[in-house]
Amino acid sequence: MTRKTWKTFIPMLLLAGLSSLEMAQAADLHVPSTVTAGSGLTFSSSGSGSATLYLIGPGTAVKRQVELGQEIQLSGEDLQNVGRYTVVVGDDSAVFFVTAAPVNSIAFLARPSRVPASTPNVISGTAFLFDKYQNLVLQPTPVKFELDEDGQATTRTETSKGGVAYTKLDSARKAGPAQFVATSGSGSVRRVVQQVASDPCNIRMSAQPDKNKILVRTDPIRDCSGNPVPDGTIVTFTATDSQGKSTVDARIKRGIAEAELPASSGATISVASGVVVGNEIQWRGGQ
Amino acid sequence: MKRLTRFGLAAIVTVGALAMLLALKTYADVTPSIAVNVQNAGPRQVEDTTERAVARDYAAAWQAMIKALDQNRTDILGPGFIGNANEKLAATIADQRKNGLRQQIVDRGHNVEAVFYSPEGSAMELHDTVQVQLQLMDGSKIVHSGEATIHYVVLLTAAENSWKVRVLEAVPSF
Repeated sequence: MTRKTWKTFIPMLLLAGLSSLEMAQAADLHVPSTVTAGSGLTFSSSGSGSATLYLIGPGTAVKRQVELGQEIQLSGEDLQNVGRYTVVVGDDSAVFFVTAAPVNSIAFLARPSRVPASTPNVISGTAFLFDKYQNLVLQPTPVKFELDEDGQATTRTETSKGGVAYTKLDSARKAGPAQFVATSGSGSVRRVVQQVASDPCNIRMSAQPDKNKILVRTDPIRDCSGNPVPDGTIVTFTATDSQGKSTVDARIKRGIAEAELPASSGATISVASGVVVGNEIQWRGGQ
Repeated sequence: MKRLTRFGLAAIVTVGALAMLLALKTYADVTPSIAVNVQNAGPRQVEDTTERAVARDYAAAWQAMIKALDQNRTDILGPGFIGNANEKLAATIADQRKNGLRQQIVDRGHNVEAVFYSPEGSAMELHDTVQVQLQLMDGSKIVHSGEATIHYVVLLTAAENSWKVRVLEAVPSF
Protein backbone atom coordinates (compact mmCIF):
# COMPACT_ATOMS: atom_id res chain seq x y z
CA MET A 1 0.00 0.00 0.00
CA THR A 2 1.44 3.36 -0.98
CA ARG A 3 1.63 6.28 1.44
CA LYS A 4 -1.17 8.03 -0.52
CA THR A 5 -3.48 5.03 -0.18
CA TRP A 6 -2.86 4.84 3.57
CA LYS A 7 -3.68 8.54 3.85
CA THR A 8 -7.13 7.82 2.43
CA PHE A 9 -7.61 4.50 4.18
CA ILE A 10 -6.86 5.58 7.76
CA PRO A 11 -9.53 8.31 7.99
CA MET A 12 -12.05 5.93 6.44
CA LEU A 13 -11.15 3.31 9.02
CA LEU A 14 -11.57 5.90 11.79
CA LEU A 15 -14.91 7.00 10.42
CA ALA A 16 -16.12 3.42 10.17
CA GLY A 17 -14.99 2.80 13.76
CA LEU A 18 -16.79 5.88 15.01
CA SER A 19 -19.92 4.99 13.11
CA SER A 20 -20.01 1.43 14.48
CA LEU A 21 -19.41 2.83 17.97
CA GLU A 22 -22.44 5.10 17.53
CA MET A 23 -24.54 2.15 16.37
CA ALA A 24 -23.46 0.11 19.35
CA GLN A 25 -24.47 2.92 21.68
CA ALA A 26 -27.84 3.30 19.99
CA ALA A 27 -28.34 -0.43 20.16
CA ASP A 28 -27.70 -0.33 23.90
CA LEU A 29 -31.31 0.69 24.47
CA HIS A 30 -33.38 -2.19 23.18
CA VAL A 31 -36.67 -0.37 22.70
CA PRO A 32 -39.43 -1.71 20.42
CA SER A 33 -40.37 0.55 17.53
CA THR A 34 -44.08 0.70 18.47
CA VAL A 35 -46.05 0.24 21.67
CA THR A 36 -49.83 0.26 22.21
CA ALA A 37 -51.17 3.19 24.22
CA GLY A 38 -51.52 2.49 27.91
CA SER A 39 -49.35 -0.61 27.90
CA GLY A 40 -46.08 -0.15 29.73
CA LEU A 41 -42.67 -0.80 28.28
CA THR A 42 -39.62 -2.59 29.67
CA PHE A 43 -36.26 -2.34 28.00
CA SER A 44 -32.72 -3.26 28.85
CA SER A 45 -29.69 -1.04 29.14
CA SER A 46 -26.02 -1.86 29.33
CA GLY A 47 -23.31 -0.50 31.60
CA SER A 48 -23.25 -0.01 35.31
CA GLY A 49 -23.95 2.68 37.85
CA SER A 50 -26.80 5.12 37.72
CA ALA A 51 -27.86 7.48 34.96
CA THR A 52 -30.62 9.97 34.29
CA LEU A 53 -33.53 8.80 32.16
CA TYR A 54 -35.45 11.34 30.13
CA LEU A 55 -38.68 10.50 28.34
CA ILE A 56 -40.21 13.13 26.09
CA GLY A 57 -43.45 12.52 24.25
CA PRO A 58 -46.98 13.85 23.83
CA GLY A 59 -48.36 14.69 27.26
CA THR A 60 -45.27 13.61 29.14
CA ALA A 61 -41.78 14.79 30.09
CA VAL A 62 -40.18 12.40 32.58
CA LYS A 63 -36.82 12.75 34.33
CA ARG A 64 -35.65 10.16 36.82
CA GLN A 65 -32.63 8.17 37.94
CA VAL A 66 -32.22 4.60 36.70
CA GLU A 67 -29.67 1.84 37.31
CA LEU A 68 -27.74 0.87 34.19
CA GLY A 69 -27.40 -2.79 33.34
CA GLN A 70 -30.87 -3.45 34.72
CA GLU A 71 -34.24 -3.48 33.04
CA ILE A 72 -35.86 -0.06 32.81
CA GLN A 73 -39.62 0.30 33.04
CA LEU A 74 -41.87 2.94 31.54
CA SER A 75 -45.34 2.80 32.98
CA GLY A 76 -48.55 2.61 30.97
CA GLU A 77 -49.48 5.96 32.44
CA ASP A 78 -46.41 7.53 30.82
CA LEU A 79 -47.35 6.03 27.45
CA GLN A 80 -51.05 6.82 27.11
CA ASN A 81 -50.82 9.27 24.25
CA VAL A 82 -50.26 8.36 20.64
CA GLY A 83 -47.16 9.88 19.10
CA ARG A 84 -43.40 9.96 18.93
CA TYR A 85 -41.38 9.42 22.09
CA THR A 86 -37.68 9.96 22.68
CA VAL A 87 -36.06 8.12 25.55
CA VAL A 88 -32.58 9.19 26.65
CA VAL A 89 -30.50 7.22 29.15
CA GLY A 90 -27.04 8.60 29.77
CA ASP A 91 -25.51 9.09 26.33
CA ASP A 92 -27.87 6.71 24.57
CA SER A 93 -31.21 7.56 23.06
CA ALA A 94 -33.96 5.84 21.12
CA VAL A 95 -37.16 6.84 19.40
CA PHE A 96 -40.36 4.82 19.42
CA PHE A 97 -44.02 5.37 18.62
CA VAL A 98 -47.12 4.76 20.68
CA THR A 99 -50.16 3.65 18.66
CA ALA A 100 -53.81 3.85 19.65
CA ALA A 101 -55.68 1.23 21.66
CA PRO A 102 -59.01 -0.18 20.30
CA VAL A 103 -61.94 2.17 19.65
CA ASN A 104 -63.70 3.20 22.82
CA SER A 105 -65.56 6.38 21.94
CA ILE A 106 -66.85 8.25 18.92
CA ALA A 107 -67.21 11.92 18.14
CA PHE A 108 -70.18 11.99 15.79
CA LEU A 109 -71.18 14.91 13.61
CA ALA A 110 -74.66 14.48 12.17
CA ARG A 111 -75.92 17.21 9.86
CA PRO A 112 -78.35 18.80 9.43
CA SER A 113 -80.49 18.55 12.55
CA ARG A 114 -83.64 19.35 10.50
CA VAL A 115 -83.96 17.90 7.07
CA PRO A 116 -86.66 17.78 4.40
CA ALA A 117 -88.28 14.37 3.99
CA SER A 118 -87.78 12.23 0.92
CA THR A 119 -84.55 13.90 -0.21
CA PRO A 120 -81.58 11.86 -1.46
CA ASN A 121 -78.12 12.11 0.19
CA VAL A 122 -79.21 14.92 2.46
CA ILE A 123 -78.15 13.50 5.85
CA SER A 124 -74.42 13.30 6.47
CA GLY A 125 -72.71 11.54 9.35
CA THR A 126 -69.02 11.83 10.18
CA ALA A 127 -67.52 9.66 12.92
CA PHE A 128 -64.12 10.27 14.50
CA LEU A 129 -62.85 7.24 16.37
CA PHE A 130 -61.00 7.52 19.68
CA ASP A 131 -59.55 5.03 22.11
CA LYS A 132 -60.03 5.22 25.88
CA TYR A 133 -57.15 7.71 26.14
CA GLN A 134 -58.76 10.04 23.58
CA ASN A 135 -56.24 9.16 20.87
CA LEU A 136 -57.49 9.16 17.29
CA VAL A 137 -57.57 5.50 16.19
CA LEU A 138 -55.83 5.44 12.83
CA GLN A 139 -56.14 1.69 12.17
CA PRO A 140 -58.93 1.03 9.60
CA THR A 141 -62.01 0.10 11.64
CA PRO A 142 -65.60 -0.65 10.53
CA VAL A 143 -68.21 1.91 11.58
CA LYS A 144 -71.94 1.16 11.36
CA PHE A 145 -74.25 4.07 10.59
CA GLU A 146 -77.94 3.44 11.20
CA LEU A 147 -80.84 5.77 10.51
CA ASP A 148 -83.92 4.47 12.28
CA GLU A 149 -87.38 5.92 11.94
CA ASP A 150 -90.31 4.11 13.56
CA GLY A 151 -88.46 0.79 13.38
CA GLN A 152 -87.56 1.18 9.71
CA ALA A 153 -83.78 1.27 9.66
CA THR A 154 -81.34 2.11 6.92
CA THR A 155 -77.88 0.72 7.73
CA ARG A 156 -74.55 1.38 6.10
CA THR A 157 -71.11 0.20 7.22
CA GLU A 158 -68.04 2.19 6.27
CA THR A 159 -64.39 1.49 7.11
CA SER A 160 -62.56 4.35 8.74
CA LYS A 161 -59.53 5.88 7.13
CA GLY A 162 -57.18 8.00 9.21
CA GLY A 163 -59.55 7.74 12.16
CA VAL A 164 -62.55 9.07 10.23
CA ALA A 165 -65.55 7.42 8.60
CA TYR A 166 -68.45 9.19 6.95
CA THR A 167 -71.63 8.44 5.10
CA LYS A 168 -74.50 10.16 3.34
CA LEU A 169 -78.04 8.88 3.61
CA ASP A 170 -81.45 9.70 2.13
CA SER A 171 -84.11 11.11 4.40
CA ALA A 172 -87.23 8.98 4.91
CA ARG A 173 -90.54 9.63 3.10
CA LYS A 174 -92.35 10.26 6.36
CA ALA A 175 -91.76 13.36 8.47
CA GLY A 176 -90.77 12.88 12.12
CA PRO A 177 -87.74 12.33 14.32
CA ALA A 178 -85.18 9.74 13.18
CA GLN A 179 -82.47 8.18 15.34
CA PHE A 180 -79.07 8.42 13.67
CA VAL A 181 -76.59 6.11 15.38
CA ALA A 182 -72.88 5.52 14.74
CA THR A 183 -71.34 2.39 16.27
CA SER A 184 -67.77 1.11 16.29
CA GLY A 185 -66.07 -1.21 18.77
CA SER A 186 -67.47 -0.41 22.18
CA GLY A 187 -68.37 3.13 21.17
CA SER A 188 -71.86 4.20 20.12
CA VAL A 189 -73.35 7.66 19.72
CA ARG A 190 -76.95 8.62 18.93
CA ARG A 191 -78.22 11.81 17.33
CA VAL A 192 -81.76 12.82 16.45
CA VAL A 193 -82.48 14.17 13.00
CA GLN A 194 -85.83 15.87 12.62
CA GLN A 195 -87.31 15.10 9.23
CA VAL A 196 -89.85 17.70 8.17
CA ALA A 197 -92.11 18.00 5.15
CA SER A 198 -90.49 19.28 1.97
CA ASP A 199 -91.96 22.07 -0.17
CA PRO A 200 -95.70 21.85 -0.83
CA CYS A 201 -96.59 19.50 -3.66
CA ASN A 202 -99.55 21.60 -4.79
CA ILE A 203 -101.75 24.29 -3.24
CA ARG A 204 -105.46 24.47 -3.75
CA MET A 205 -107.50 27.43 -2.45
CA SER A 206 -111.12 28.54 -2.43
CA ALA A 207 -112.60 32.03 -2.02
CA GLN A 208 -115.86 33.33 -0.57
CA PRO A 209 -117.30 36.77 0.15
CA ASP A 210 -117.02 37.95 3.73
CA LYS A 211 -118.78 41.29 4.41
CA ASN A 212 -116.74 43.78 2.40
CA LYS A 213 -113.83 41.45 1.86
CA ILE A 214 -112.87 38.26 0.10
CA LEU A 215 -111.95 35.37 2.37
CA VAL A 216 -109.41 33.02 0.75
CA ARG A 217 -108.48 29.69 2.32
CA THR A 218 -106.30 26.78 1.21
CA ASP A 219 -107.01 23.09 1.54
CA PRO A 220 -104.59 21.29 3.89
CA ILE A 221 -101.12 21.80 2.39
CA ARG A 222 -98.91 18.72 2.05
CA ASP A 223 -95.61 17.79 0.41
CA CYS A 224 -95.45 15.21 -2.37
CA SER A 225 -95.10 12.38 0.20
CA GLY A 226 -98.28 13.44 1.96
CA ASN A 227 -96.57 15.06 4.97
CA PRO A 228 -98.29 18.22 6.24
CA VAL A 229 -96.16 21.27 5.53
CA PRO A 230 -95.09 22.74 8.92
CA ASP A 231 -97.18 25.46 10.53
CA GLY A 232 -95.55 28.85 10.14
CA THR A 233 -94.64 28.34 6.49
CA ILE A 234 -95.53 31.49 4.53
CA VAL A 235 -98.24 31.36 1.86
CA THR A 236 -98.79 34.42 -0.33
CA PHE A 237 -102.23 35.37 -1.70
CA THR A 238 -102.37 37.95 -4.49
CA ALA A 239 -105.42 39.69 -5.96
CA THR A 240 -105.03 41.70 -9.17
CA ASP A 241 -107.84 43.93 -10.47
CA SER A 242 -108.26 47.16 -12.45
CA GLN A 243 -107.06 49.19 -9.43
CA GLY A 244 -103.84 47.29 -9.00
CA LYS A 245 -102.41 44.43 -6.98
CA SER A 246 -103.04 43.45 -3.33
CA THR A 247 -100.77 40.93 -1.62
CA VAL A 248 -101.21 39.23 1.76
CA ASP A 249 -98.65 36.91 3.37
CA ALA A 250 -100.22 34.37 5.70
CA ARG A 251 -98.67 31.62 7.78
CA ILE A 252 -99.89 28.06 7.69
CA LYS A 253 -101.87 27.33 10.86
CA ARG A 254 -103.09 23.83 11.64
CA GLY A 255 -102.22 22.76 8.11
CA ILE A 256 -104.07 25.50 6.21
CA ALA A 257 -103.51 29.17 5.35
CA GLU A 258 -106.19 31.82 5.10
CA ALA A 259 -106.35 35.57 4.48
CA GLU A 260 -108.75 38.41 3.76
CA LEU A 261 -108.36 40.35 0.53
CA PRO A 262 -110.06 43.70 -0.29
CA ALA A 263 -113.46 43.34 -1.97
CA SER A 264 -113.48 43.70 -5.72
CA SER A 265 -116.04 43.33 -8.45
CA GLY A 266 -113.56 41.57 -10.69
CA ALA A 267 -110.15 40.23 -9.73
CA THR A 268 -107.70 37.42 -10.42
CA ILE A 269 -106.62 35.73 -7.19
CA SER A 270 -103.53 33.54 -7.04
CA VAL A 271 -101.71 31.64 -4.29
CA ALA A 272 -98.07 30.56 -3.91
CA SER A 273 -95.62 29.27 -1.32
CA GLY A 274 -91.90 29.34 -2.06
CA VAL A 275 -91.48 28.14 -5.63
CA VAL A 276 -94.84 26.35 -5.72
CA VAL A 277 -97.77 28.15 -7.36
CA GLY A 278 -101.33 27.02 -6.62
CA ASN A 279 -104.61 27.45 -8.47
CA GLU A 280 -105.98 30.76 -9.74
CA ILE A 281 -109.52 32.09 -9.16
CA GLN A 282 -111.34 34.60 -11.39
CA TRP A 283 -113.44 36.55 -8.84
CA ARG A 284 -116.65 38.11 -10.17
CA GLY A 285 -118.03 39.81 -7.07
CA GLY A 286 -118.83 36.65 -5.23
CA GLN A 287 -119.76 34.46 -8.18
CA MET B 1 -2.86 48.00 8.87
CA LYS B 2 -2.51 45.96 12.05
CA ARG B 3 -5.11 48.22 13.78
CA LEU B 4 -7.41 47.82 10.79
CA THR B 5 -7.12 44.02 10.92
CA ARG B 6 -7.86 44.02 14.65
CA PHE B 7 -10.84 46.30 14.08
CA GLY B 8 -12.10 44.09 11.24
CA LEU B 9 -11.77 40.97 13.37
CA ALA B 10 -13.62 42.60 16.26
CA ALA B 11 -16.39 43.72 13.90
CA ILE B 12 -16.79 40.23 12.45
CA VAL B 13 -16.92 38.66 15.92
CA THR B 14 -19.48 41.25 17.10
CA VAL B 15 -21.69 40.85 14.05
CA GLY B 16 -21.45 37.06 14.32
CA ALA B 17 -22.36 37.10 18.00
CA LEU B 18 -25.25 39.46 17.37
CA ALA B 19 -26.52 37.28 14.55
CA MET B 20 -26.34 34.20 16.77
CA LEU B 21 -28.14 35.98 19.60
CA LEU B 22 -30.79 37.21 17.20
CA ALA B 23 -31.23 33.72 15.76
CA LEU B 24 -31.55 32.21 19.24
CA LYS B 25 -34.03 34.84 20.35
CA THR B 26 -36.25 34.84 17.31
CA TYR B 27 -36.36 31.28 15.98
CA ALA B 28 -39.43 30.61 18.12
CA ASP B 29 -41.09 33.79 16.92
CA VAL B 30 -40.89 33.00 13.22
CA THR B 31 -44.16 31.81 11.73
CA PRO B 32 -43.46 28.64 9.77
CA SER B 33 -44.22 28.87 6.10
CA ILE B 34 -46.93 26.34 5.35
CA ALA B 35 -48.66 25.60 2.07
CA VAL B 36 -51.51 23.11 2.11
CA ASN B 37 -52.19 20.82 -0.84
CA VAL B 38 -55.96 20.36 -0.95
CA GLN B 39 -56.25 18.50 -4.25
CA ASN B 40 -56.92 15.12 -2.62
CA ALA B 41 -59.23 16.31 0.14
CA GLY B 42 -62.78 15.00 0.22
CA PRO B 43 -65.66 14.39 0.36
CA ARG B 44 -66.12 18.16 0.37
CA GLN B 45 -63.97 20.32 -1.85
CA VAL B 46 -61.82 22.83 0.03
CA GLU B 47 -62.69 26.42 -0.84
CA ASP B 48 -59.85 28.87 -1.60
CA THR B 49 -60.57 30.98 1.46
CA THR B 50 -60.63 27.89 3.67
CA GLU B 51 -57.31 26.72 2.22
CA ARG B 52 -55.70 30.06 3.08
CA ALA B 53 -57.26 30.15 6.56
CA VAL B 54 -56.08 26.61 7.33
CA ALA B 55 -52.50 27.40 6.23
CA ARG B 56 -52.49 30.61 8.28
CA ASP B 57 -54.01 29.12 11.45
CA TYR B 58 -52.00 25.90 11.35
CA ALA B 59 -48.75 27.86 10.95
CA ALA B 60 -49.72 30.07 13.88
CA ALA B 61 -50.49 26.98 15.99
CA TRP B 62 -47.04 25.56 15.29
CA GLN B 63 -45.41 28.84 16.15
CA ALA B 64 -47.30 28.92 19.46
CA MET B 65 -46.43 25.29 20.21
CA ILE B 66 -42.72 25.85 19.60
CA LYS B 67 -42.74 28.88 21.85
CA ALA B 68 -44.82 27.16 24.53
CA LEU B 69 -42.53 24.10 24.70
CA ASP B 70 -39.44 26.30 24.80
CA GLN B 71 -40.71 28.73 27.44
CA ASN B 72 -42.95 26.26 29.32
CA ARG B 73 -46.00 28.46 28.86
CA THR B 74 -49.50 27.11 28.40
CA ASP B 75 -51.15 30.52 28.07
CA ILE B 76 -50.16 30.87 24.42
CA LEU B 77 -51.69 27.58 23.28
CA GLY B 78 -55.32 28.71 23.49
CA PRO B 79 -55.79 30.40 20.11
CA GLY B 80 -54.34 27.47 18.14
CA PHE B 81 -55.19 24.34 20.11
CA ILE B 82 -58.36 22.86 21.51
CA GLY B 83 -59.49 19.60 23.13
CA ASN B 84 -57.07 16.67 23.23
CA ALA B 85 -54.20 18.47 21.55
CA ASN B 86 -54.40 21.36 23.99
CA GLU B 87 -54.63 19.06 27.01
CA LYS B 88 -51.68 16.93 25.91
CA LEU B 89 -49.46 19.92 25.23
CA ALA B 90 -50.42 21.43 28.57
CA ALA B 91 -49.54 18.15 30.30
CA THR B 92 -46.15 18.05 28.57
CA ILE B 93 -45.44 21.61 29.64
CA ALA B 94 -46.51 20.91 33.23
CA ASP B 95 -44.15 17.92 33.35
CA GLN B 96 -41.33 19.90 31.76
CA ARG B 97 -41.77 22.70 34.29
CA LYS B 98 -41.80 20.22 37.17
CA ASN B 99 -38.58 18.55 35.97
CA GLY B 100 -36.73 21.66 34.82
CA LEU B 101 -36.86 20.60 31.17
CA ARG B 102 -37.72 22.37 27.96
CA GLN B 103 -37.69 21.60 24.26
CA GLN B 104 -36.21 23.75 21.58
CA ILE B 105 -37.60 23.06 18.15
CA VAL B 106 -36.33 24.65 14.98
CA ASP B 107 -39.00 24.33 12.31
CA ARG B 108 -37.39 23.66 8.93
CA GLY B 109 -40.58 23.32 6.92
CA HIS B 110 -43.84 21.48 6.39
CA ASN B 111 -45.27 19.43 3.59
CA VAL B 112 -49.00 19.47 4.31
CA GLU B 113 -51.75 17.60 2.52
CA ALA B 114 -55.44 17.83 3.35
CA VAL B 115 -56.85 14.30 3.19
CA PHE B 116 -60.36 14.78 4.60
CA TYR B 117 -62.79 17.68 4.72
CA SER B 118 -66.09 16.82 6.35
CA PRO B 119 -69.32 17.21 4.34
CA GLU B 120 -70.63 20.00 6.59
CA GLY B 121 -67.26 21.82 6.55
CA SER B 122 -66.46 21.79 10.25
CA ALA B 123 -63.50 19.37 10.39
CA MET B 124 -60.42 18.73 8.31
CA GLU B 125 -57.69 16.12 8.55
CA LEU B 126 -54.15 16.91 7.41
CA HIS B 127 -51.03 14.85 6.84
CA ASP B 128 -48.02 16.95 7.70
CA THR B 129 -44.42 15.91 7.11
CA VAL B 130 -42.22 18.22 9.16
CA GLN B 131 -38.48 18.72 9.12
CA VAL B 132 -37.30 19.81 12.54
CA GLN B 133 -34.25 20.18 14.69
CA LEU B 134 -35.05 19.04 18.22
CA GLN B 135 -33.16 19.79 21.40
CA LEU B 136 -34.09 18.57 24.85
CA MET B 137 -32.69 20.88 27.51
CA ASP B 138 -32.28 20.08 31.21
CA GLY B 139 -31.72 23.55 32.58
CA SER B 140 -29.00 24.93 30.31
CA LYS B 141 -27.61 21.48 29.46
CA ILE B 142 -28.42 19.89 26.12
CA VAL B 143 -29.54 16.36 26.92
CA HIS B 144 -30.44 15.29 23.42
CA SER B 145 -30.21 16.90 20.03
CA GLY B 146 -31.00 15.82 16.53
CA GLU B 147 -32.63 16.45 13.19
CA ALA B 148 -35.81 14.56 12.40
CA THR B 149 -38.49 14.13 9.79
CA ILE B 150 -41.77 13.58 11.59
CA HIS B 151 -45.14 12.61 10.13
CA TYR B 152 -48.16 14.09 11.86
CA VAL B 153 -51.84 13.30 11.52
CA VAL B 154 -53.65 16.51 12.35
CA LEU B 155 -57.34 17.05 12.99
CA LEU B 156 -58.53 20.63 12.70
CA THR B 157 -61.94 21.89 13.72
CA ALA B 158 -63.57 25.14 12.80
CA ALA B 159 -64.06 27.07 16.04
CA GLU B 160 -65.09 30.66 16.55
CA ASN B 161 -63.55 32.30 13.48
CA SER B 162 -60.43 30.19 13.06
CA TRP B 163 -59.25 26.62 12.60
CA LYS B 164 -57.92 24.98 15.74
CA VAL B 165 -55.79 21.86 16.17
CA ARG B 166 -57.83 19.22 18.00
CA VAL B 167 -55.55 16.24 17.36
CA LEU B 168 -51.81 16.25 16.64
CA GLU B 169 -50.41 12.73 16.52
CA ALA B 170 -47.00 11.73 15.23
CA VAL B 171 -47.01 8.44 13.32
CA PRO B 172 -44.19 6.27 11.92
CA SER B 173 -45.54 6.79 8.37
CA PHE B 174 -48.74 7.63 6.50
